[in-house]
Amino acid sequence: MMFKLNGLQKAIAWIFLALLAFVNLYPIGIMILSSFKSTREIFLKPFNLPAVWRWSNYVSAWQRADFATYFKNSILVTAASIAAILLVSSMAAYVIARFDFKFKRGIYLFLLAGLALPTRLAIIPIFLIMRSLHLLDKLSGLVIVYAAGGIAFSVFLLVNFFKKLPRDIEDSAKIDGAGPFRIYWQIDLPLLKPALVTVAMFNFIDVWNDFFFPLILLSSRVKKTIPLGLQAFFGEYTIEWDVLFAALNISVLPILIIFLILSKQFIAGMTEGALK
Amino acid sequence: MRGRAGRSLSDRPGKAGSSEARPILYLSEVDVRKYSFLWMLFPALLLYTVFIAYPFFSSLGLSFYDWPGIGPKKFIGLSNYKNILSGFMAPEFYRALGHNIVFFIWSLILSVVPGLFFAFLLSADIKGTKFLKVIYFFPNTLAIVVVGFLWGLLLNPQWGLVNQLFRVLGLGFLAKPWLGNTSTALPTIIFVTAWRGLGFYILVYLAAILGIDREMTEAARIDGATEMQIAGRIILPHLLPIIATTSMLKFIWTFNIFDIVYAMEGTQGGPAGSTDVLGTLFYRIAFGGLGSSQVGMGLGATVVTLIFLLVFPVSIFYVFIVEKRVERGE
Repeated sequence: MMFKLNGLQKAIAWIFLALLAFVNLYPIGIMILSSFKSTREIFLKPFNLPAVWRWSNYVSAWQRADFATYFKNSILVTAASIAAILLVSSMAAYVIARFDFKFKRGIYLFLLAGLALPTRLAIIPIFLIMRSLHLLDKLSGLVIVYAAGGIAFSVFLLVNFFKKLPRDIEDSAKIDGAGPFRIYWQIDLPLLKPALVTVAMFNFIDVWNDFFFPLILLSSRVKKTIPLGLQAFFGEYTIEWDVLFAALNISVLPILIIFLILSKQFIAGMTEGALK
Repeated sequence: MRGRAGRSLSDRPGKAGSSEARPILYLSEVDVRKYSFLWMLFPALLLYTVFIAYPFFSSLGLSFYDWPGIGPKKFIGLSNYKNILSGFMAPEFYRALGHNIVFFIWSLILSVVPGLFFAFLLSADIKGTKFLKVIYFFPNTLAIVVVGFLWGLLLNPQWGLVNQLFRVLGLGFLAKPWLGNTSTALPTIIFVTAWRGLGFYILVYLAAILGIDREMTEAARIDGATEMQIAGRIILPHLLPIIATTSMLKFIWTFNIFDIVYAMEGTQGGPAGSTDVLGTLFYRIAFGGLGSSQVGMGLGATVVTLIFLLVFPVSIFYVFIVEKRVERGE
């Protein structure tokens, strides 16, 4: 607490805070409620609760949009990307934080440059590289792009965490003859778990929600991830608002659940990254 | 340095060594075995170089060619640049660039001003505000296309909730086709973007405020400073660096804008190009999209290179600042 307010000021502050919470929640609340109504109800009684809770909208959206496929693709891509990012970034961060060698600073700055450059600007050559590697319209191509794009930020965060780790255990392991990889794998990684969770969360949001790279790199329906599939669905069913709202909710649900469970870590991780 | 090699590490006391700033293994002799750790750096370096760093420079090379994406490339020197900066692409390019700049300025204002305001409120001695942080942050976790589609439905001129709400409240004159009017479409999209992003800025500024040394504000309070004075003269100056870095990042990411326009107004940045940004313009040029007159990888690469020239100085400056700050251990 930084400020001391008197009673009246507190009341006014609460009004503003509540107002913003309302502005944030109301559209989401409408999205959820509308998904249980009929289209006619959404149009004519937008503010009312659903007369009947039509769960069938969800069944209909799930089947018509082929959400099962999109979910499978999104989960595969996100999981593989995060695993790859965590592995390669933590190894690189370990080397940068723990060892000294020629050109280290140069290499680190080279990696850091990616922190503040939108990967999208490189999309044409990325597209061409993927085409010559025959990785267009392949989920693995997408994973490679996400893994590469996540490195700068992840290495940056992890180097800072590595520097905070105590070295006592590492030193004694060193005497026992453990090599660099074993020290990294058996001693540092377990200590680094909170940092890895933060890095994973960051990349989860980025990868799970990304629309741009799938749009460019994927083409067939069976390869689509959720945001891309949602776009196709909205293009097809413009007037059936009941299923459109249901589809929006289906696409939001996984992130909502994860966010509600991990909101504390989410917020701490996101703000910590930005403060750096 | 020689004495520090390898085994003598153990005689460095663990935590007491912190005066040396960073724990580093000093290697004195060229010994392949000693450098064996370097392989652990390579996967990241390779991925990053091949799929991020190289493509950035490769775009520059492509920008001197006329190339539809297949077949032979034709070297045309600076023709692409001429076409974009002063030729047939110029009107579209400058219009899109202008929209990006408007987007940047307004979303900066809409993040910094309310961001600081609510961060100040949340840092006051008010109870029960913890759950508000979760609420404020939540829209940030939604995909931009989801936000775009949701607001697209809410802003539907006839059946959308926004206009129905205006009518119910007796503000019928505000019930407009917000996304269908050339003068309101861009401001509406900026508002929707701010709606999604505000919570992030509130929490970043809040974290910065809570990180300020409490003793300083307490001392000022004892000296008789009012809460307003504390906010304006002590806390705000301390927030300037974080405001500066978030603004730089905002500038950089402004050139990423694509999803929200795509979801709400389509690849043409309608109505009548009034929401066309560099992202959508570039997409049409390089990857087609409905109604595009030409597909040109070279021309697209030129747009990207021009964006890159705008963004790169800021990026370098940002990375420089961040690195310095980390070096100082802040």
